[in-house]
Amino acid sequence: MSQLFNYAVPGIPFGCVFALMGVGLVLTYKAAGVFNLAFGAQAFVSGLAFVFLVQDGWPRWAAGIIAILGLGPLVGLVLDRLLFRRIRTASPLVKLVPSLGLLIALPQVALIIAGSTPQIPPPALFLDAQTVYFHLGSVPLSGLELSITVATVLVVAALVVLFRLTPVGLEMRAVVESPRLTELFGINAGRVSAFAWVLSSCIAALAGVLLAPLYSQLNPEDYTVLLVWGIAAAVIGRFASLPLALVGGLGLGVAQQILAGYLPAGIIATGLRPSLPFVVLLVFLPFSRQRQLDDPLADCDPPIAALAGEARGYRAAATLTGDRGDETVAVGLWHRTLHPDGGTSIGRRLLQRPTAVLGWVVGGLAVLSALTWVSPDWLLTMTQGIAFGIIFLSLTLLTGMSGQISLCQASFAGLGGFAAGQFANHLDLSLLAGMVLGGAMAAVLGVVVALPTLRLAGLPLALATLAFALLADNILFPNGWVGNGATGVLVPRPEIGPISFNASRSFFLLALVVLALVAGLVKLIGDGTMGRFLAAMRGSEVAAVSVGIDVHRLRVVVFAVSAGLAGVGGALYGSLQGSLAPNDFNYQISLVLLVVVAIVGLGSISGAVVAGVVYTALLKSLSTLPARYAGLLAVLFGLATLSYTRHPEGVVDYLGNRLVGLVGRLTGRWRDDLPPRTDAPAHPPTGVERVPMAADGVDR
Amino acid sequence: MTGALLRARDISRRFGGITALAELSLDVGEGEAVGVVGPNGAGKTTLFNCLLGLTPPDTGTVEFDGRRIDRMPVWRRSRLGIGRTYQRMELFRGMTVADHLLVAEQAHAGTVRLWGDLLHHARPSREELDHVESALRLLGLDELADRPVDVLSLGHARLVELGRAMMGRPRLLMLDEPSSGLDAAETARLASIITDVRRSEGTAVVLVEHDLTLVGDVVDRLCVLDFGRMLAVGSVGEVMADERVRQAYLGSGA
Repeated sequence: MSQLFNYAVPGIPFGCVFALMGVGLVLTYKAAGVFNLAFGAQAFVSGLAFVFLVQDGWPRWAAGIIAILGLGPLVGLVLDRLLFRRIRTASPLVKLVPSLGLLIALPQVALIIAGSTPQIPPPALFLDAQTVYFHLGSVPLSGLELSITVATVLVVAALVVLFRLTPVGLEMRAVVESPRLTELFGINAGRVSAFAWVLSSCIAALAGVLLAPLYSQLNPEDYTVLLVWGIAAAVIGRFASLPLALVGGLGLGVAQQILAGYLPAGIIATGLRPSLPFVVLLVFLPFSRQRQLDDPLADCDPPIAALAGEARGYRAAATLTGDRGDETVAVGLWHRTLHPDGGTSIGRRLLQRPTAVLGWVVGGLAVLSALTWVSPDWLLTMTQGIAFGIIFLSLTLLTGMSGQISLCQASFAGLGGFAAGQFANHLDLSLLAGMVLGGAMAAVLGVVVALPTLRLAGLPLALATLAFALLADNILFPNGWVGNGATGVLVPRPEIGPISFNASRSFFLLALVVLALVAGLVKLIGDGTMGRFLAAMRGSEVAAVSVGIDVHRLRVVVFAVSAGLAGVGGALYGSLQGSLAPNDFNYQISLVLLVVVAIVGLGSISGAVVAGVVYTALLKSLSTLPARYAGLLAVLFGLATLSYTRHPEGVVDYLGNRLVGLVGRLTGRWRDDLPPRTDAPAHPPTGVERVPMAADGVDR
Repeated sequence: MTGALLRARDISRRFGGITALAELSLDVGEGEAVGVVGPNGAGKTTLFNCLLGLTPPDTGTVEFDGRRIDRMPVWRRSRLGIGRTYQRMELFRGMTVADHLLVAEQAHAGTVRLWGDLLHHARPSREELDHVESALRLLGLDELADRPVDVLSLGHARLVELGRAMMGRPRLLMLDEPSSGLDAAETARLASIITDVRRSEGTAVVLVEHDLTLVGDVVDRLCVLDFGRMLAVGSVGEVMADERVRQAYLGSGA
């Protein structure tokens, strides 16, 4: 018993920080409508500022005030104004991608602005971090632990006072309960949610400052891990309850220390501790969803406003006149007409698809260059781009077509690569066979991911897949028979009979063939019956089941196919590099992959291919710059994230639509930049979400 | 009523402290049109969700065509021949009008055709396209077939929902306030389409509605719900004359 106590007490400070993160996440989620994954980045920025200020000779209390009460809310408000306010009513994907992008970009931007890393170990907010002040039982309590616990207790007390005793606290509780009903009582929910945003940003900043001394050096990755614990706490609070999130965070902190104390050393033990939040996610997420379904008021929300970006996509669509009447081209994601063979002459068809023509020309020139004059290391980059293009295509299928958000796509790719290598090495197979087997193994993992998450959609699904990515990183990949830990797995180049693909140009051609096969597969699925079912499921899962689509089965199938394709891409990448280590496809890569392909274009095959090539080419060009600019990619990333909120259809589709319009105007075939509206739109435009109920009343 | 197509018995559903449905029973005969009216919050949409399985009822049984369906997944009930529209419209955003009907048509026909797609670029069959086109004509939507639903007016969007529910020749149509948000002319058009479908296909209809003109035009029998209980059942005239109904639904002054 006393041993349990000894293990549990050191967990309390951790639990305090987790709880703070959880509370902050719930607060913004309920009051501002966004599950702010950039929270970890906000914490990092304030933690960094605090350490720098102390290093420059500021007293710690002053540095703390500036970092927590000044910079924290400032960053939060800027993000809110620039970004999150615009996407309040958008689809889960459009809400998720910017916050993921910021999670990755913001710390790098902060590091660039700072210009260097701090030279001193991060100090505690007060007290001396290393000194032991007294013992609780036999557990020594250092200044670090005391300062974290005391600060958290003070903040929680302040929150309780705020929520229970002040008018704004009461309003905030009301907004958290139901923004719409609150507005009915004449309270400006926008103002209240801005306040909630400031408050939660302060909490993030506080958590960032408190956490800093736990590490000898500030590192954005540690803050991402912290964020993940905070997410778990928020999920225990079912995204809704502040006290539950608080208790959940504390419980997680204590539980992870107890686990670490009792479990024997080994992969499972070292892996299980960091994956604890994900076990929690998987166990608790279904409940959060269930609650929504059982909530009798859930139906009272008005219809979701048309997504600004999607409407923009349609507005950019061009209607060209053809012989068989109007032909709507390039409308939004995976839109097809009933008469795909509308054009009569080849010339007209080409004219209607100028983007396709441009794509083939550029692609052809690139391949030609690769085979003739491109230098070996750029040829390598191009081949990497193809491998990533294949992985991106798996997301085009899963997220673009069927609307399922996956944050574990890199894990599928990794498993595919490892399996291909292991099969090739141990069974003495050609890598091509290994690649097929690797894809099959990844597909099996896809089913394993899909089955327990069948009832989840949108954000909860994204978080659950993130859970799987971390489980894979911590428990699956370190094993010798999978990813072989830090050493990695050798993945040979394939051979077909006498033909070897050791030479870089022949391997490039092989990669191109695999890409063409995968792209063809994705296109066939997208154009066929399954694509139509997937589009229906993306549009409305409820309506899809009630027209008779077995949505669960469809989801398992699409997860399996997508994971399989990602596995093939991963195997190709591994074979190109010669070896593959778990870090090549860790969970952070999953986040980056989703953000990159969403920004470039999830709606088309060309989007995925362009994303692959641009991504690797950017990495390559930036690697030639001096180290000072290493974070430039992150800056680009952040800017692209901003553009994404304006054009969620992606860069490729956006430019494509512009090109269609241009060609139409030039040839005089342009009729209108809008598909003619029949009347007022069925979905009210964004902003109408403030209307508390539909005019005709809402019924159950 | 022995030959009932749909037979629901003692359906109850509570949400926390709220009783949405209290041991409600409902029969719908083959080809019959039943109206369900009641004040907001009476439990009408919950009744639909319980019958179709979107919200599992706490107690009670549902039979369709003599088979127990209350343990079946929603999609299977739909394939048995139950079409449904939503009060809060649930359209497939980004898809065209014609594709909405085509998806429903194909979904009724069977499961995912992944291998078919991969092997021969599955195009919709001539028969499926014919069904879609005749439905479009019936609804008067043929002009808009290739428009994405996102740019449709509310009236047209409601017709798309109705059309989607009609595909695959369901034997029972469950319409949840199809006229909400429509003007008088659009409502009249809706009534004539529903009547046409009933006449040509013999489809049974359950109609949840506030618009009593539409109800009067379409239904054979009217049920009044209040606080999850069946207040009155009978012909439109009988029910409307019922004192309790006037109290609960129309207000005591009516």
